[in-house]
Amino acid sequence: MDAADVTGDWDYRTLPANVRIGEGCYLERRGSFGRFRSSRDPGLTLGRSVQVYTWTTFNVEPSGAVEVGDGSVLVGAVFMCAGDITLGRRVTVSYCVTIADSDFHPLDPELRTRDAVANAPEGDRSTRPPLEVRPIHIEDDVWIGIGAIVLKGVRIGRGARVEAGAVVTRDVAVGATIAGNPARVVDRGVSP
Amino acid sequence: MSAGHTLAHDWFPRAIPDNVVIGDRSWLYSAYAFLHYRSRRPCGVRIGHDSGIYHGSFFELGSDGEVEIGHYCSIVGAVISTNRRVVIGDYSLIAHEVVLADADAAVPGGRGTGPGIELGRNCWVGMRAVLLAGVRVGEGAVVGAAAVVREDVPPYAIVAGNPARVVGAVRRPGVHTGGGA
Repeated sequence: MDAADVTGDWDYRTLPANVRIGEGCYLERRGSFGRFRSSRDPGLTLGRSVQVYTWTTFNVEPSGAVEVGDGSVLVGAVFMCAGDITLGRRVTVSYCVTIADSDFHPLDPELRTRDAVANAPEGDRSTRPPLEVRPIHIEDDVWIGIGAIVLKGVRIGRGARVEAGAVVTRDVAVGATIAGNPARVVDRGVSP
Repeated sequence: MSAGHTLAHDWFPRAIPDNVVIGDRSWLYSAYAFLHYRSRRPCGVRIGHDSGIYHGSFFELGSDGEVEIGHYCSIVGAVISTNRRVVIGDYSLIAHEVVLADADAAVPGGRGTGPGIELGRNCWVGMRAVLLAGVRVGEGAVVGAAAVVREDVPPYAIVAGNPARVVGAVRRPGVHTGGGA
């Protein structure tokens, strides 16, 4: 392995043309983008001074697009994206966090059998059943704690705190603090 | 292994920081563990003898961060993100994807201001557990997989869940259950 590929010293211009990088970004590990295969334009937008550390990965399907606002810090954000995931400004995502806008497989057992066949190493992926995809919006100044999981269709309001290990399945109000699995409000915060 | 040198087996072309002490017969997978290391303490990381620090472990220390790992420890994959003092007692076992951190939303370089973390001797921390600022884990205690530990764990207790609760106990050394020969 080339050390430059893991210390932010690689050439960011080698990223696909549909990746837009703002001024002052730090992209530590080239491999963070190894599973980026969006066919949208832009498929990934990073604002100014976004820090992307080594554990972050952008697993973006052809149909997906991720947008991250200015000054956000992505430590260990694993994006699983088939639609739209947006992060606002100054969002902090800590270690070992997953953000997934789809379950990526159908819930119905018969459809899941068809999905399994289509996903076989030599299967025909064009025969996969349609995925349910619902957008995720994480607003400005949100903190997402270590090991948290954010699932499809969730909006996390401005300034909210997601505590370590929380599994977020529902919207989070502006300024609230949530914790647990499934995540529950532990502090409503100051009313806006 | 001496500090200020590269590891013979290393792929990552950096030296071990000067303020790191690694004891006899201990193993460190790579200087990559110090990717975000900023400790300026006289001794930022001290590892005892016969301990293994394996792939996936990282010392994410801020300028005031200090880590002390005892003898005969196996650190399979712990991220230690602190600007305070973290102590891991002898014979402790930490599984993969475990995070010890100053704050819920910790970032590299340990900007947190919380108190340190202390694990007693012979602790066992299960995979994906999270230990947060100020936690003291007593000797011989077991932390279950994916537990989120915010409060002290008594010696020889088993804790699990989010937030972690005491769910059982392990046998104390020298205490025998009935029925045996």
